[in-house]
Amino acid sequence: MRDFVLCWRGCPALCIGGITCGLTQAKAAANDDKDQAFSIAHVELQRGNIALAKEQIVWGDVSLEYMGTEYALEAESLCKVYRSRWRGREIAAVSNLTLHVPEGVKFGLLGPNGAGKTTFVKMLLSAVIPTSGTARIFGRDASLPEARLPVGYLPENHRFPTYLSGAGMLNFYGALSGLSQSERQARIPELLKLVGLENWGDVRIKKYSKGMLQRLGLAQALIHRPRLLILDEPTDGVDPVGRRDIRDILNRLTGTGVTVFINSHLLSEVESFCDYVAIVNRGELALQGEVSSLVAGQGYAITASRVPESATATLQAWSSVIQNAGSGHFELRVATLEAANEAIDVIRQAGGLVESVKSESSSLEDVFIQATRREQAA
Amino acid sequence: MTATSGVSNGRILLALIEDTFQEARARWLFWGLFALSTLLVLLFLFVLKIDLVEGAVSLFGIESTTRTVDIHRFVITSYSWVSVVLYIWGTFLAIFASSGLIPSVLEPGRISLLLSKPVSRPILLLGRYLGNLAIVGANHVYLICSIWLVIGIKTGIWEGRFLLAIATSLFIFAVLLCVVVLVGVISESAALSVMVPVALMLISTILGQRQIVVRLLSSEWSRELWQAFYWIVPKVYDLAGAMRQMIVYDREVDWFTPVWTSAVFGVAALSAALYIFKRRDF
Repeated sequence: MRDFVLCWRGCPALCIGGITCGLTQAKAAANDDKDQAFSIAHVELQRGNIALAKEQIVWGDVSLEYMGTEYALEAESLCKVYRSRWRGREIAAVSNLTLHVPEGVKFGLLGPNGAGKTTFVKMLLSAVIPTSGTARIFGRDASLPEARLPVGYLPENHRFPTYLSGAGMLNFYGALSGLSQSERQARIPELLKLVGLENWGDVRIKKYSKGMLQRLGLAQALIHRPRLLILDEPTDGVDPVGRRDIRDILNRLTGTGVTVFINSHLLSEVESFCDYVAIVNRGELALQGEVSSLVAGQGYAITASRVPESATATLQAWSSVIQNAGSGHFELRVATLEAANEAIDVIRQAGGLVESVKSESSSLEDVFIQATRREQAA
Repeated sequence: MTATSGVSNGRILLALIEDTFQEARARWLFWGLFALSTLLVLLFLFVLKIDLVEGAVSLFGIESTTRTVDIHRFVITSYSWVSVVLYIWGTFLAIFASSGLIPSVLEPGRISLLLSKPVSRPILLLGRYLGNLAIVGANHVYLICSIWLVIGIKTGIWEGRFLLAIATSLFIFAVLLCVVVLVGVISESAALSVMVPVALMLISTILGQRQIVVRLLSSEWSRELWQAFYWIVPKVYDLAGAMRQMIVYDREVDWFTPVWTSAVFGVAALSAALYIFKRRDF
């Protein structure tokens, strides 16, 4: 059976032989006509008539895309609840998180500190056992050791064995990844060269700088030519030069079919490198979508002053971000030109002064802040 | 080269054992263990002088006795002394040296990377256990075989039963190492991983005096409690006694009971460690 992705504003959702979880999300934004079309497409998909289903399901933001035979990662309603041993208090690190990462994409997982990103990644790799839900890697149950065979992983705050040399470490992790002695002997010099450590292979790891350790960690993750690369804060604590080196290495993977899953809080890096992002906040999925779609939304920034309190509530209803700089001074962003004009009317009717109106496109940072604030407000 | 097929557990175990050897090599405690063994071998090789014709034995060039000694008796006494030293102090030092090897692998950032590999958790822990056992086994073989060779060459007396000390010492270490692993997995503390098995060694010595103690205890339930504890705890004291009887007097001794009861204890401790390790979040 072939797998399809229903994309709504670039948001991938799983559809196998029929529209499943993605449909609900897409339907929420669709008008009545689209609803009807979805039903037709659903029937066609069930019959196996992909071409007709595709025809029915393409409008504006919504499209049906063939994404290959499988997903690199699938998480279905993953939950992790930690219980304190003595008091029995429960803390939900991850709540009901469903996420699908298509094969071959560069996917960024974003979220503020303590959002549950690392716990989520560890659940995918079975280092943390989920309280409920399932995780699959290329269609295989993630809790099985063989499911991790096509995975290369670079953990956050890694502690590589300092008693080993760079080449020795690659040899050890290569063996654990299933490579034979001869395969490792051929692969290690290749990788050391790729990460720019060809002259450091015989040197003990304890003499490596932070940047060198990160590059070595990347080499370790790549040793068995994985189909999925999971990187947890790969540039954390690395200087700008080291970051660029890591980015260059990752860019070389583009087009090789390797799925790259990056867990990071560095938004600019994710924005420049990833195709898709998901934003996690307080253990829940706040937003996911294609980076280009998320940041493409045009907006308008209005600066006003002497805005009375009474107008604030009205403005907050439309605008996505409002910054009160004090003494009635406002900076607010709205999504459409119509909304901008309405906001200006409200400000002027309330006796406020419009200082400036600027057209601007949102950055991933804006999207991130909006998503996390919305979650907090909810 | 792409990893598509399953990974053989044998290859993984070998890699883990080799890694344990490399970590042990980087730790001074293991060098200390081998250095002490070497010191003991050198003592027999250079310091101890045995005159086969006169039957005289001298230490540091000073004759320990003015009268003729029975060389065979001297050799057996040496065997007894070395085997008991290895059994008690060797095991203690081996536990001390091994205690950090389990918590070190559980360090955050290290364990999460190991768990991301296509390796089952029990194999990961067993690899570490077997690596530890192999290191201590190598030390025991090195010490006992070297002394056996030195004494054999110097005296021409080749008593094979001395080699039994390797098996006995390694067996009791294997049992106590299961406790080290269990405590390490639960507490991640190297200090506690030493304290618990050493305490077990001491308790076993006390419980081993059951013939005397049972007579001193007044109530039936306290006698039964003592007996119950005796059967549960590994028989460190009893095995030492059996080994000595065998090496010194070449007597038939009851090996079976202390061996199987200790083995059951070790298997139970290791199974508990594997169970806890399999269910833990890292």
